[in-house]
Amino acid sequence: MIRKLFQIEKIKALSYPAFKTLMIIHFLLFFLVVLIVSQVNFSFPGFSVTKLYQFPNIWEFFPWVASWFNLFLAIVVILLVGNEFSFRTFRQNVIDGLSRNDLIRGKIILIFSIAVYTFLMVLIAILIFGLINSDDYSMGAIFGKSYLLLIYFIQALGYMSLGLLITIMFRNNALSIIMFILYFFPIEPIIRWIFEAHARRYFPIKIISNLTPMPEFLTMTSEKTFTTSSGTSALDFQEMGLTIEPLSVGLNVGLAVIYILVFLGISTYLLNKKNL
Amino acid sequence: MSVEKILEINNLSKNYGSLQAVRDISFTVNKGEVYGILGPNGSGKTTTLAVILGVLNANGGDFKWFGKPLQKETRQRIGALIETPNFYPYLTLFENLQIAAKIKNASEESINNALGTANLLKRKHTNYGNLSLGMKQRMAIASVLIGDPDVLVLDEPTNGLDPEGFAEVRNIIQSQASKGKTIILASHILDEVEKVCSHVAILKSGELIANGRVGELLTSEDIVYVQSENQDELFALLQFAEMVSRVSRIEDDITVVLKKPFTPVELNKFCSEKGFVLSKIMLRKQSLEAQFLELVK
Repeated sequence: MIRKLFQIEKIKALSYPAFKTLMIIHFLLFFLVVLIVSQVNFSFPGFSVTKLYQFPNIWEFFPWVASWFNLFLAIVVILLVGNEFSFRTFRQNVIDGLSRNDLIRGKIILIFSIAVYTFLMVLIAILIFGLINSDDYSMGAIFGKSYLLLIYFIQALGYMSLGLLITIMFRNNALSIIMFILYFFPIEPIIRWIFEAHARRYFPIKIISNLTPMPEFLTMTSEKTFTTSSGTSALDFQEMGLTIEPLSVGLNVGLAVIYILVFLGISTYLLNKKNL
Repeated sequence: MSVEKILEINNLSKNYGSLQAVRDISFTVNKGEVYGILGPNGSGKTTTLAVILGVLNANGGDFKWFGKPLQKETRQRIGALIETPNFYPYLTLFENLQIAAKIKNASEESINNALGTANLLKRKHTNYGNLSLGMKQRMAIASVLIGDPDVLVLDEPTNGLDPEGFAEVRNIIQSQASKGKTIILASHILDEVEKVCSHVAILKSGELIANGRVGELLTSEDIVYVQSENQDELFALLQFAEMVSRVSRIEDDITVVLKKPFTPVELNKFCSEKGFVLSKIMLRKQSLEAQFLELVK
């Protein structure tokens, strides 16, 4: 059944012009950014761009760059799911013999396939750039932070699952894209602002976007700990209570997975309850 | 010999908010029947079909296909078209039907057969979005035929078709019926139902008002138009006459439906005996359309 659903989703997606366009743009933008940055000859004492392209730092840098373009992946999912409502093809698929759960399974397979594609795209880029630019080829150095790519994979799933949920709620491409973007800003930030600082860390977008935080370039490329001009480090701010201690990676990933399951669960519930 | 029940609907109801689109509908479709669901626009035909195909959730009652609740296996024995054809405009006809074929576990050969039957084989690599309305309707028929289903459910299948297309669809339905397939056809076009169906259920405002064999429900009646110098007295007389089944007044005429086997000659004789000289007596066969309008009035 999974194979059948995959083949159906493949026909629906690969012949869709907007899908091809957005995936090509996603691919080009990612490679354009990593290529342009790699050509920047920028260094000062304690910082060097080249180090971003070396193992193991590259596992941190490339997923972070790729995460900028997750919006494209979510829009692809919104368009493909929204089309099913616009063209009333979900309805036809059910008439032809798929169950409503099959419809959701098909879209989960689609999301998973896109996440695997982008995972492989970033992995191949990391291996190419990493092997060209690194000095240390020990297994420890090469795969030292490779788990960060898996976390990026979960993040891509998270964005696309939220896109799926919003589209099933609004059933319209344009409205879903607008609501998806508005949820990022300003809806969730405003809701977060209402809550206490500690609680703000647990909101879905906060959790999912924190999966690929901006790499600490200076500590990554220098042995010295970066300090502010006044001499205070980030740790000092936390100790002063001015910033909130971030969640551990494990907890962040766990909560992101829970959010993804919740998004998919609500999507399944809504699709089963509503008329097609 | 017992007849296999293909579809049993029991007290089915469906509401859209406060609007009751379908109310307590019950009927049974047996194997091999060409069952028409006839009713004016908004009578609940499409809603009924959408519920029994699992697209809409019912608010009350139940239905069984092949003696069981709707299941994946039973769905694959049904080919259905509801309202407008629903396909991906950016996919070719072949790709669209490939999706249907995969869902129904049907072969690619079945796609070509279906396109051939619908006279669309030459257009198999055309994008669905580029088809004319009539071709889209024929594409929907092709989709229904994928996998050679036991039951065809067709909702207004001749929508948007020219007379030639109308005849083609009718031929397809009749040829499928001759293969022993069960066909459920919803339409507001009486002629379509009359020419194709063996049985009919008539809906009005979401309620089933009649069902049975087409021949029994939609038989032609003879209407006699009469006039005399004193229409009011003649009308009063005919209302209680034994040979009269129904009487009504339309503009200057009194229309009379006679009980069988009475004839207009006997009516004339009866009126004459009662002292009425008829200045007009005209026999006119009532059209099925008029019958249908009478039923749903």
